[in-house]
Amino acid sequence: MKHLPKHLRPHWRYVAVGIETWPDADVSRRGFQRAVWYAAGNLLGDPGSADAGLKLLAFSHADGEGEAILRVRRGHVDDARAAIACVSEVGGDPVGIHVRGISGTVRACEERYMGRAGGDLTQRDVAFADADATAVVRGDAYDVRTGSGDVGATAFDTE
Amino acid sequence: MYEAVHAYPDGDATVSRHARTAARHGYDGIVVRTRDALPGIGEAGEGDRYDAGDDGRREADSGDDGRREGDSGGADADEPRGGDAVAIRERYGVDVVDAVEIDADDPGSAGGAVGNYRPDRTVVCVVGGDDRLNRFAVEEPRVDVLVRPTRGGGGFNHVLAKAARDNGVHVEFDFGPVLRATGGQRVRSLAALRKLREIVTYYDAPHVVSANAGSHLELRAPREVVAVGEAAGFDPEWVREGLRAWGGIAERNRERLSEGFIEPGVRRGRYETQR
Repeated sequence: MKHLPKHLRPHWRYVAVGIETWPDADVSRRGFQRAVWYAAGNLLGDPGSADAGLKLLAFSHADGEGEAILRVRRGHVDDARAAIACVSEVGGDPVGIHVRGISGTVRACEERYMGRAGGDLTQRDVAFADADATAVVRGDAYDVRTGSGDVGATAFDTE
Repeated sequence: MYEAVHAYPDGDATVSRHARTAARHGYDGIVVRTRDALPGIGEAGEGDRYDAGDDGRREADSGDDGRREGDSGGADADEPRGGDAVAIRERYGVDVVDAVEIDADDPGSAGGAVGNYRPDRTVVCVVGGDDRLNRFAVEEPRVDVLVRPTRGGGGFNHVLAKAARDNGVHVEFDFGPVLRATGGQRVRSLAALRKLREIVTYYDAPHVVSANAGSHLELRAPREVVAVGEAAGFDPEWVREGLRAWGGIAERNRERLSEGFIEPGVRRGRYETQR
């Protein structure tokens, strides 16, 4: 189809989102897009969700850390932000999510907010809560495996 | 803006991990609701108040440590290191406030617990969710915050709102279920929030807002919390006020627990000799 004249094209905002999970979580692009739309549908309803858009343009996730770019219609950024905040799990894995920033072009969004990987993961034996445990370490963040599940800690708790 | 969190052993992230995440999200401080996660401001003994150096507190902690090693429940074994509020504050640049959540079965035992923890803790919260406990909490001026007033089917009405206003007890608006629950449970909690909001704003009772995060993954940045509140029908500025209120409570109580405080408006002056 012939593309629209400039004044009729929709205006977009590009939302950069940082994702955090436990290190063994497996979050797929499809699963994340589904969770975002599901959250938007539930919070804003179908019309609100359609207004916001929230199409996933870029996504990466590995080893408990990820980032994404979501396309949102201009003027609905606050609704989109609320919907994004309501994404609490993807496919059963709990996710921490936070909006890094908003740009008017994909390029600006990538240059400004993407590519902030926090370094490599290493596995280490640590003493936590007076017991030995293994921890997955990235920089200052320690995800400790305990008998009752993962616990988020930092170098401060284990040194 | 401040956020009140559940830390390990109650939640899935330690105080320092919460602080690290909160710093990235742009919070000014966190209030740690879990008693076992952080030693109280008044527990470390004489002369080691909020503005004192952290050496005294470390010593007091290691003194506690010996006693705790005999405990079989390893729940609070993390306390000595994970609990050093001053060191965490310096490391991550966010304020760390010691608090306690009193989750009692009846007003009688809650009253005892409030008396016990008030001298030690900067922020004292009572968990509601039961008509009698809600009533007790708002009528007790020593309580700072009534948390989760409607979680377990507890009611809130104009009588409680007036009492809360007169006694300066903040009523918590718990955004946890809005952020994490789905379906009917979420609808019910949204309905409860709306009812609570109508009553609390009408009588101008003090309020606080929190996402009730149980781990660093459940923390949401202030702008996100405000956006969710706006989508749920709250006034954005009112939600921001609710997030700031935690900091206000902490500041006021630290002042009250500090050495020089005698009563509101009266401080130990420079001519007073230390006896």
